[in-house]
Amino acid sequence: MIERWALVSGLRGDLETYDLIQRDLKKTRGVTALFVLGDLVGPERNCDALLDRLRNPHRGDLKPDCIYGWWEEQLLAERGFRGERKADALRLSQGEDAVSALLNTVNPSHLKWLASLQFGFIELDCALIHGSSSDVADNLTSETSPLILLDRLTRLNVNRLFTARSTKQFHLELTGGGINSQVKDLNGKREQQQEVPKRSVIGIGAGLNYTLYDIGSDKMHFLTAGSKTNPKGKGFA
Amino acid sequence: MNHAIISCLHANLPAAEAVLNDIDRQGIDTITCLGDLVGYGPQPNEVVELIRKRGIATCQGCWDEDIIDGLNACECSYPSQLAERRGHLAHQWTDDQLTDENKSFLASLPTSLRRDRLLFVHGSPNSQHEYLLPDMDAFAALERVETAGADILFCGHTHQPYVRELRDGSIRVRLQNADHGNDQGEELTLPMRKIVNAGSVGEPRHGSTNATYVIHNDATDEVEIKEVAYDVGRTCQAIVEAGLPKVFAWRLSHGFEFAEQAEDASHVCER
Ligand SMILES: [Zn+2]
Ligand SMILES: [Zn+2]
Repeated sequence: MIERWALVSGLRGDLETYDLIQRDLKKTRGVTALFVLGDLVGPERNCDALLDRLRNPHRGDLKPDCIYGWWEEQLLAERGFRGERKADALRLSQGEDAVSALLNTVNPSHLKWLASLQFGFIELDCALIHGSSSDVADNLTSETSPLILLDRLTRLNVNRLFTARSTKQFHLELTGGGINSQVKDLNGKREQQQEVPKRSVIGIGAGLNYTLYDIGSDKMHFLTAGSKTNPKGKGFA
Repeated sequence: MNHAIISCLHANLPAAEAVLNDIDRQGIDTITCLGDLVGYGPQPNEVVELIRKRGIATCQGCWDEDIIDGLNACECSYPSQLAERRGHLAHQWTDDQLTDENKSFLASLPTSLRRDRLLFVHGSPNSQHEYLLPDMDAFAALERVETAGADILFCGHTHQPYVRELRDGSIRVRLQNADHGNDQGEELTLPMRKIVNAGSVGEPRHGSTNATYVIHNDATDEVEIKEVAYDVGRTCQAIVEAGLPKVFAWRLSHGFEFAEQAEDASHVCER
């Protein structure tokens, strides 16, 4: 039997989008888990209805497992949940108005729950993180140097890193290569060869763009919720 | 031109003096220090003042940082709870001893120094607390040098001197994305880079009691690891007299940290 995960991010308070994704998933075979990789909130619209739905799923909803993302980090920092740090990154990039807009979109009753969300999940040999092990803001794309991608995988010791920060959908596989290393110390010299491990980084998209991952066959499907071509057009019926 | 790189003096004055004498004898006048002037040892003020007096370019070490910022390192800096407790004791003692003037000197130190293609840091370009051990994953090691935009990275912090050359590297990738479907794949050729660890002047852990440092020739890129004997007994006695944990003296007289290797060298403190 097919077993697949759905990976979603960047909803930013958009309940309509989330609803479309849930409808898609209802029509898709084999989806056993729904991971929401952060950016549940955002400054554009009131986020309370979406947060209510994520916390209290409707009957028939696939139950979401959420982690926090860049926007939650900004919100929580500004609300005093991150020690002395404030929403500095947001303030610096978009100014004071963006900070107050963000504060206004989330009812404080949700803060404790948001603060309880984890940085990431490790499932099977996969890491699910908003940015990367290095930082929630780490913006990994298919153009990022493979050396950096490999480093992020190595830090977690996983075979696949699912990331959302870039909002892009991509599947970049490391397929080969190697490196020679020579260490000289007071005991002498030694040589070492190391191969590139077969690992990959997956950008899952944001908003309507989400990803299905078939665990058994290691296949990625990059989808857009509500679009006519999927799931049927791509053979998901 | 030859220049010398020293690290991890750790308030050990006899060792610091011996190494500087050794460097002077060779007529080398460019010296770079990779931090950890204090911690573990009994002469924090004396060592800081020696470095200040000689005007040696220095970056901030993990101990220097913690003395300024308070001990807020996560437990990852210590290999065991016992080591953590002893570390805290030494931290408190050093904090009590250091003059305000010397503290503000430590606070003023930069986290890195750069001269052309040479980069000098204490632990790694990411953090003063990250260990770049000689056998760490070669790609991750190269990533540290490459992301920092350097040809040669000089570091300390592990207290084990080494020179590591990373070469003939390549990574092949295949890309699939939403619009373009499957891509043919490409190969990235990685540049040759070097990591030079200066070891430790005041708290060596390479298996001998001798202080270590390195000399780099910036014309030939040759690196020599130097060992210098000094009066270990004098420092050990001063450690005991200062009331610091006796294990620090024991460690100095053996040249390694018994069963206290950092377990996860790739761990980066995210505090
Ligand atoms: Zn040190
Ligand atoms: Zn250190």
